[in-house]
Amino acid sequence: MGSNTTEAHPIIGNRIKKAAKGSLKVIVIDPRKIDMVKSAQKHLQINVGTDIALINAMIRVIITEGLYDKGFIGNHTGDFEALLAKVDRYTPEFSAGITGLLAEDIIEVARLYATSNKSMIAYTLGITEHHCGVNNVFDIANLALLTGQIGKRGSGIMPLRGQNNVQGAGDMGCLPNQLTGAVSLLKDDYRSRFEHSWKVQISQRVGDTQTRTFDKIETGEIKALYCIGENPLVADVHMNHTRALLEKLDLLIVQDIFMTETAEMADVVLPARSWGEVDGTYTNTDRRIQRVRTAVTAQPGVKEDWEILCDLSARMGYQMQYSSSEEIWDEVRELAWEMYGGISYARLEDEYGIHFPCPDENHPGTKILHERFHNGKENEKRSNFVPVEFTPPLEQPDEEYPFTLTTGRRYESYNTHTQTRHYASGVKIKQTEETLDIHPVDALRLNINDGDLVRVSSRRGTLTVKAKVTEQVVPGLVFMSFHWSEVPTNVLTLNEYDPISGTAEFKACAVKVETIA
Amino acid sequence: MTSIRQVKTVCGYCGTGCGLILEVEDNKIIKIRGDKEAPVNKGQTCVKGAFAYQYVHAPERLNTPMIKKAGKLVKATWEEAYDFIASRLSEIKNDFGPDAISMFACARTTNESNYITQKFMRAAVGSNNIDGCNRT
Repeated sequence: MGSNTTEAHPIIGNRIKKAAKGSLKVIVIDPRKIDMVKSAQKHLQINVGTDIALINAMIRVIITEGLYDKGFIGNHTGDFEALLAKVDRYTPEFSAGITGLLAEDIIEVARLYATSNKSMIAYTLGITEHHCGVNNVFDIANLALLTGQIGKRGSGIMPLRGQNNVQGAGDMGCLPNQLTGAVSLLKDDYRSRFEHSWKVQISQRVGDTQTRTFDKIETGEIKALYCIGENPLVADVHMNHTRALLEKLDLLIVQDIFMTETAEMADVVLPARSWGEVDGTYTNTDRRIQRVRTAVTAQPGVKEDWEILCDLSARMGYQMQYSSSEEIWDEVRELAWEMYGGISYARLEDEYGIHFPCPDENHPGTKILHERFHNGKENEKRSNFVPVEFTPPLEQPDEEYPFTLTTGRRYESYNTHTQTRHYASGVKIKQTEETLDIHPVDALRLNINDGDLVRVSSRRGTLTVKAKVTEQVVPGLVFMSFHWSEVPTNVLTLNEYDPISGTAEFKACAVKVETIA
Repeated sequence: MTSIRQVKTVCGYCGTGCGLILEVEDNKIIKIRGDKEAPVNKGQTCVKGAFAYQYVHAPERLNTPMIKKAGKLVKATWEEAYDFIASRLSEIKNDFGPDAISMFACARTTNESNYITQKFMRAAVGSNNIDGCNRT
């Protein structure tokens, strides 16, 4: 669901495609006819942002046809009655009207998911980058709990993560509410473990998410921002607004490997070591910790991220001294031992990767989470259903802005393209610039030919881009990525956010498309 | 004759975590291939992982700290940059409290650097205002 796997996670895409040649049945749920559709048994080409209407209808079908796992629900879950009440109005016909799908397709996929001996849901930003992203994820979890499709090999919920170490960054405690090991900083005994080791009191005020940080820059409550290896000016929604906020800061520090658009706005820029020059570990999308190794001596003048922060910390009166990444990792293993205690560099050398949690050296690591669901016992800690209501994308197309713009990634480029501008020589790149992907019916109606320059505008900004006429989108839907700062797609996107996660609605805003005379 | 070294590592792009073997000559990556022993990718690579590595050696790489003076970023030494940052952060912390400072951590750097990043915010700055692109 909402995963363009072959372009964004190509090797996972390859493995799914290979398995689909055997007994694996693939259902693609996506507003676009993405490449994975070729390997799919079925493609539900859903209207953008209508996932909950679909899932609630699937849940209703599974319940009314008695295809749910009654034993599982009795032993492990709570609030089943509330789920029943919530999905009651989502008949396949009702949801067909919202999603643009056929009622019989919704019924067929619901049956397939519930009755298969193993069903897994993989999702990406097509689920999370909505104002209702958290509710979308809740509903996926409702579906998995209803059918017991979780906690056993080949089942479960798999969010495919976008960056090499986005999983690890959060796990290490780069979150406003959690310490290293993904435990709340408000948990006194856990926090005191860190306070004792660090010899400092840790604030008990939960910090701000990136989204709330932007709000507080606007109100003047946040004066300084230190940004490492990220290009929020180009990557975040409503670029003109982001620029005004960054200008408002008293102090912007950027630590990066290139002079990004965000770095150009900084008061201080610090040059960091890049991949290939650093040593340490990354945590991949399935919680597997693996070693990244230094391949080349770093370019002159740059320093490793942790080295810079230790130097600065000392100048601010707090000493942090380490001689190697391994020494830092061993501190992580000691403090968050429940997760990482057994994952030593020596073991990683022998075993390649180890899945956390892995509390001690004799523990093999945890390949499958939530196996407790299948140990035959009733669970003390119940997993409650969280029933959710469908809410449409916040900016609907209208007469003035008649298209829905959805954004995403393309195969050969990566995020704001600061690195993928530098391919090895001789590599033939198919997509070398941004395009507006538009359906032939719309193109014909607006008199747009493939390759024509068009103007795209939303209520927040406007840009010029080449049109690509393609049946990958449906009439009324246009697609762009945000890889090229020359065509800053995020001047168009909408600054509305999920109230819980703070994730922006990158996947839907209203735009108009005009030919350039 | 220069020798070619082989270095086993993990790809730095998406979250799949493919194992790679880098061929290095004269301190330059000259070729990347998938590591057949890697449990994730079993020798496969995508176009980014195998070929989009020249950025490591790009002449446009930042190679010196810079401080903005009269609206322009100009070269500075590490000492100057550290002193500037430490004094400005300390001033802001004194005048407005530690929660007037916020940190965006990096989803591309190592676990070790991320651990130090949040330790810096919590222990040296004194705030939990730390987040990353986990949400986007």
